[in-house]
Amino acid sequence: MNVRLVVNGVPYDVEVPPRRLLSDCLRHDLRLTGTHVGCEHGVCGACTVLLDGRPVRSCLLLAVSVDGLEITTVEGLAHNGELSPVQQAFADCHGLQCGFCTPGFLTTITAGLRENPDPTEDEAREMIAGNLCRCTGYQNIVAAVMKAARP
Amino acid sequence: MKISGDAVLHAPIERVWQALRDPAVLVQTIPGCERMDATGPGAYRMTVTAAVGSTKGTYSGTVRVHDGKPPSSFAISASAAGAPGTIGTDVQVRLSEVDGSTLLGYDADATVGGMIGGIGQRMLAGVARRTADEFFAAVDDALTGEPAAVGFAEAPAGRSLTPGGLVAAACAVAGFVVGAVWGRRRG
Amino acid sequence: MTKMFGAPIPRREDRRFLTGGAAFLDDLGHDALAVALVRSPHAHARVVDIDVSGALDVDGLIAIYTYDDLTGALAEPLPLLIPHPALTHGRTAHALARDEVNHVGEPVAMVVAKDRYLAEDAAERIAVTYEPLPAVVGIEAARHADHLVHDDVPGNVAANYTQAYGDVDAAIASAPHRLSLDLAVERSASTPLETRGVLAEWDTESARLRVWSSTQTATGLRAAIAAKLGLDLTNVEVITPDIGGGFGVKIVHPWPEELLVPMAARALGRPVKFTEDRAEHFVAAAHERAQLHHVEVGFDDEGRILGLDVRFWHDHGAYTPYGLIVPIVTSTQLLGPYKPGAYRVEFDSLYTNTVIVTPYRGAGRPQGAFVMERTVDAIARDLGLDRAAVREANFIQPDEMPFDFGLTFQDGRPLRYDSGDYPATLEKLKKLVGWDSFEAVREAARAEGRRVGIGLACYVEGTGVGPYEGGHVLIETSGKVKVATGLTTQGQGHQTVFAQIVADELGVPISDVEVVTGDTRRFPYAVGTFASRAAVMSGSAIALAARNVREKALRVAADALEADTEDLEIVEGVVRVKGNPGAEIALGTVAVLSNPLRYAFDEASQAATQFVVGDPGKPPVADDDEPGLEGRDYYSPPHATFANGMHAVIVETDPDTAEIRILKYAVVHDCGKLINPRIVEGQIHGGVAQGVGGALYERMAYDEDGQLQNASFMDFLMPYVTEVPRGIDIDHLETPSPLNPLGVKGAGEAGVIPSAAVFASAIEDAEGIPITSMPISPSELFELRETATSARTDSRRHSEDQR
Repeated sequence: MNVRLVVNGVPYDVEVPPRRLLSDCLRHDLRLTGTHVGCEHGVCGACTVLLDGRPVRSCLLLAVSVDGLEITTVEGLAHNGELSPVQQAFADCHGLQCGFCTPGFLTTITAGLRENPDPTEDEAREMIAGNLCRCTGYQNIVAAVMKAARP
Repeated sequence: MKISGDAVLHAPIERVWQALRDPAVLVQTIPGCERMDATGPGAYRMTVTAAVGSTKGTYSGTVRVHDGKPPSSFAISASAAGAPGTIGTDVQVRLSEVDGSTLLGYDADATVGGMIGGIGQRMLAGVARRTADEFFAAVDDALTGEPAAVGFAEAPAGRSLTPGGLVAAACAVAGFVVGAVWGRRRG
Repeated sequence: MTKMFGAPIPRREDRRFLTGGAAFLDDLGHDALAVALVRSPHAHARVVDIDVSGALDVDGLIAIYTYDDLTGALAEPLPLLIPHPALTHGRTAHALARDEVNHVGEPVAMVVAKDRYLAEDAAERIAVTYEPLPAVVGIEAARHADHLVHDDVPGNVAANYTQAYGDVDAAIASAPHRLSLDLAVERSASTPLETRGVLAEWDTESARLRVWSSTQTATGLRAAIAAKLGLDLTNVEVITPDIGGGFGVKIVHPWPEELLVPMAARALGRPVKFTEDRAEHFVAAAHERAQLHHVEVGFDDEGRILGLDVRFWHDHGAYTPYGLIVPIVTSTQLLGPYKPGAYRVEFDSLYTNTVIVTPYRGAGRPQGAFVMERTVDAIARDLGLDRAAVREANFIQPDEMPFDFGLTFQDGRPLRYDSGDYPATLEKLKKLVGWDSFEAVREAARAEGRRVGIGLACYVEGTGVGPYEGGHVLIETSGKVKVATGLTTQGQGHQTVFAQIVADELGVPISDVEVVTGDTRRFPYAVGTFASRAAVMSGSAIALAARNVREKALRVAADALEADTEDLEIVEGVVRVKGNPGAEIALGTVAVLSNPLRYAFDEASQAATQFVVGDPGKPPVADDDEPGLEGRDYYSPPHATFANGMHAVIVETDPDTAEIRILKYAVVHDCGKLINPRIVEGQIHGGVAQGVGGALYERMAYDEDGQLQNASFMDFLMPYVTEVPRGIDIDHLETPSPLNPLGVKGAGEAGVIPSAAVFASAIEDAEGIPITSMPISPSELFELRETATSARTDSRRHSEDQR
């Protein structure tokens, strides 16, 4: 089936089988490999992308189901080579180690801060409570959320 | 690699013997056989198109039928090459009549080289056996006057053959056996 | 120039991870053929038949392999990587099952197809006929040995091993007090967010194999592939891309797929890739931790341990590719910072029909710490003494360093502690957590109807085991510094910390330093990343290599500047004569001068051509010299260096629901000199989180048939942010290691080691019920309360009856 995905503002026309997951389509058809797959069943959050601005698990969506929608992946967060406040805060706070889960956190927090630009620490923790990280123990990710909100 | 198998053909042994050595029958019944030309007594040159899985290719080579002991046994030696690889095979074929039908048994020993030689023995053997089965089914149809169901035109239900699904088969003349073997290689 | 060593600078590798620019294994090889494995659904069975006919019609199918397709060394069992004299019955699997499968998930056939979807289509159409055999699941079943995992291994015992010093029987028999304990730890697993994966490309023209793998050892894998595929080592390259966490599981090599995928790439002449899925990772990678322990201890009135006798049983799963490392680590590292008067430890390493057990962060230490710390807590409870005081009474003192137990550590070297100040560490911890004022906290909580408890646990961790690592440092004519080391990186920030070392050693801006790890093309001699060894081993080797380069740079510069090397310094990448501004030469220029040229290709290189430099009476490159401004060196320690630390936790247990909440978590950590405190703290944070998982949530729930019941992230409960402590208080102590040029010790595993012990200590303190098995869930704690209540009731009744 032919679908049009608008990813980070760029339209892509792509021919995919109906069963192709959005995560696989992004990664292997469009070769935007910043979106990672950690569990394939929507639990870890590594594959989180923004669909019309809202965070979704791309491993739980079929590519054909998002025909025509706007998708933001981690590749679309920086502008003109400048890191977004969330990305910068992760760098400043040592919010990543192996970096595999990081894109899912970045997209999740980007959307979260749009909704709640000035979170309390509790709200910051709530914001990332659906994403798994095996390296950092989350301490510095929470710090990064707070810092991104108040750079 | 060694492969053995058998088939029942619903015709008396003499008719089977004739059919299996008749290029006009073989060219119709060998899965994927594009052409087959006699080059001498019992010797043929042939071209077969086959696919094993999604590896498709056209193979061309020679087939020799020899050591015939009518109507009970003969041997086939074949070798062929195509872009996906090469094959050489020796096949012993035995015929015996049971209640007006013919029981055919074969033992093939094949050497498969090139990429097609790397697809795994079970897959090669599986494709070979299936190709042989298709070949025998087609020969049987030819013998009994049924329309050929060899799968060129339409695949039998449940088999969903790709064009190559007929796998290559066949090689040759004796089609079946060899065919079988080939089939596998094209994988 | 700011000193880089010790500075908490931000990581230099972060940008590519933050922008989607990193390259993990599955981000490579988009055009490669994909692999799916047919895996055993049985824990123990004979493979009767494999029928692939049903798969042949799958469009996109390329190849199917079974054991019969394996030839030569590949048809033999996988390597037993670490043999040991006590491992009398070591067994390893075949890359594809030959005639028997010994755990759910064991690979039986491999499908190659155009993409993973199609490969899975084909794999599920392959019909394997099994004849199920009785499964041996769990340590008790293995010990009873009613059934055998391997017919030729009596009693399911792969190894029995004892180490001891002193007369432990006499010491316990004559001790004023004695206790015995039974202590259990269940299975968990590394569970990195990125699963395993391997990509192979065969170059038909040059007969060379290039492999990318998400491995913790590129060089080890390279050697294994060459040996198993019958290739010359020179014709095999292994490259580690970015790796999404390892935590031990990726040190195992070669995984079946790491051989099968290269085999297929060679057979098919096309790139082939395997990316493990999450469900596979649970049943086809490795687990750790499961052990049962029995302790007999004798002690005096102050709680000093006079004799300690530990017997334990280690469940190593279906095979023993990694030898006895985990139980040996338990048996030696159990001692922690203490010095029992006499000690004996004996273990059986047992087969079960479950996934293999190989090191997971901590590697046997969490179990050892659990056993020792539970024992010390039990002694304190028995004597009515402060738990911290009993620990102090047993500590090895700083003036006793180096302290040699007379035992053999996991590296075959003496268990000899090089340095550490345990009393000081404990002092810091007590302050950090408020140990001495906790009774007031407890009373205040009790007044509110709340139940709180405090626990502490200590550990010593042998880090930086040999045999060696190497480093290569090259200064290019641009002045840029290229550094390579062979071990691999899974998120530890090596591109930052190694650059910090080099920047200081050479006197160059860190922005000019680039570090490559885990690429056999760049550095072919290495061991791997495990046992908290990267900073110690490669850090030291790189420092030594940089010193060689510095020496040569000064020598060449001294010639050019007509100065004495003693009078030179290197600042910001420029060699200059101290106190003589203007007499200076950039390192890039020194690099030019150090490589005599016949051909000039730019302005800089004109300065090095044959008519410009050198004494015409001498060879352009002296007999004992080499062209180029580069250095290579190796670091090989006499034995491990021993880091240590102590954790304390305050928990609150819900009187009704038995939920366990973390109120405070404190860590004092001594890994010698800190190269980058920010990164060390990150390691501790991550370790603590994994420790919380291991203590309170994570377990591998096998049923009696050997089926893993919780093989997904929905059911295997890895901590989210909601499960980890809100804040971890960390303090450092730096007792430098005398064993290496940097004075460093490993830090990677520390955070996870005392977790089970410290939580057990705190929960026991809150509840007043002995905690002897970890992890512990709220429902298990609830059960313990019920049992304890009815036991109290029974004993009250019993004593009433007596009356």
